[in-house]
Amino acid sequence: MSFFGQGKKRGFGASDDDMGIITRLSHAVSDSPITNATKRAANDAAYVTKKLLNSTGKAAWFAGTTFLILVVPLIIEMDREQQLNELELQQQNLLGSPPAK
Amino acid sequence: MAGLVPPGTAIPADASKTAHTKADEKIDYMNLPCPIPYEEIHREALMSLKPETFEGLRFDFTKGLNQKFSLSHSVLMGPTELPSQSGETIKIPTAHYEFGANFIDPNLMLIGRMLTDGRLNARVKWDLTDNLTVKANAQLTNEPHMSHCMVNFDYKGKDYRSQFQMGNAALFGASYIQSVTPHLSLGGEVFWAGQHRKSGVGYAGRYETDKMVATGQVASTGMVALSYVQKVSEKVSLATDFMYNYMSRDVTASVGYDYILRQSRLRGKIDSNGCTAAYLEERLNMGLNFILSAEIDHKKNDYKFGFGLTVG
Repeated sequence: MSFFGQGKKRGFGASDDDMGIITRLSHAVSDSPITNATKRAANDAAYVTKKLLNSTGKAAWFAGTTFLILVVPLIIEMDREQQLNELELQQQNLLGSPPAK
Repeated sequence: MAGLVPPGTAIPADASKTAHTKADEKIDYMNLPCPIPYEEIHREALMSLKPETFEGLRFDFTKGLNQKFSLSHSVLMGPTELPSQSGETIKIPTAHYEFGANFIDPNLMLIGRMLTDGRLNARVKWDLTDNLTVKANAQLTNEPHMSHCMVNFDYKGKDYRSQFQMGNAALFGASYIQSVTPHLSLGGEVFWAGQHRKSGVGYAGRYETDKMVATGQVASTGMVALSYVQKVSEKVSLATDFMYNYMSRDVTASVGYDYILRQSRLRGKIDSNGCTAAYLEERLNMGLNFILSAEIDHKKNDYKFGFGLTVG
């Protein structure tokens, strides 16, 4: 009874002899090499993901503004050209067709 | 050693071509077309890849008083860049008005422009005879030692052109270009700058067919420039350019397009320095053109956008 309480009050940094069973168990889980490796891997993954998002963001900005400058006016102009062509074709059909009897 | 390229050096390459085309037609080496001038050798590539982008508002009004004489008024408002040591571009908003007068005759062309900040630009092109042309270009300013002027004497032969130029800071240059086959022309130039005690030699070649133009230029200042323009259809042409400076190890490659539609002309380019530019000229009405220009430099984060109107 007091045995458990003593271990919990000391907590972190206490040696194995003074710690209670639960504290020992939790330390065994949190200080084990597997947990450390997992933590490092998670940190690396977060770092890599952040860099990847960052460079993807930059690439998306670069591609987006370049597309806006180079391609959008082209699409608009080609559309107008097509409209003009259709209009001319229509007018040709109207004026070029023989008069109705 | 002068920069003249003897025409004979290219003959072995043409021998195979002559053998090939003998079946179609015999190349008449005595009647080759006149080549384009040496300084315009990259003309098609520069049209697509170096549009005249500007920043701010631009308004040009040209009024013809006569068949030969016309006046032009031009307003330009926008930030201009100042060269700065720190690498940061410093832009100062300026506005100026430019008054110009043009006299255009079949033999004589005179163009003068006067700006409100005291600068005067003058260009003269005078055809003395059918073959000899004198061109002069001068820029005069109020600041001392900033004015310069250049005079060119061009002689056009049957299938060659030669040019001699003199500039005001003891700058001398000569160039020669010769048509070697109906499609290929080769040329060379030599220049001497007295003030900096520098001289240089350069060679250039241009191969053109109906659908494409390929040019290459090498200069002893370390510049190698290659360009290729392909005319994909009568409205579209694509151009690419590669510039390499072997002294300063600077490389730039760029790709661009040029769409000439009935109501507009759109030019766009992208660079290996992370610089994209686009230039749109749209015909709103007879004689009324609307201009939009954009230039984005991703590396330096420098953005320039301009719009304008051209009348006449």
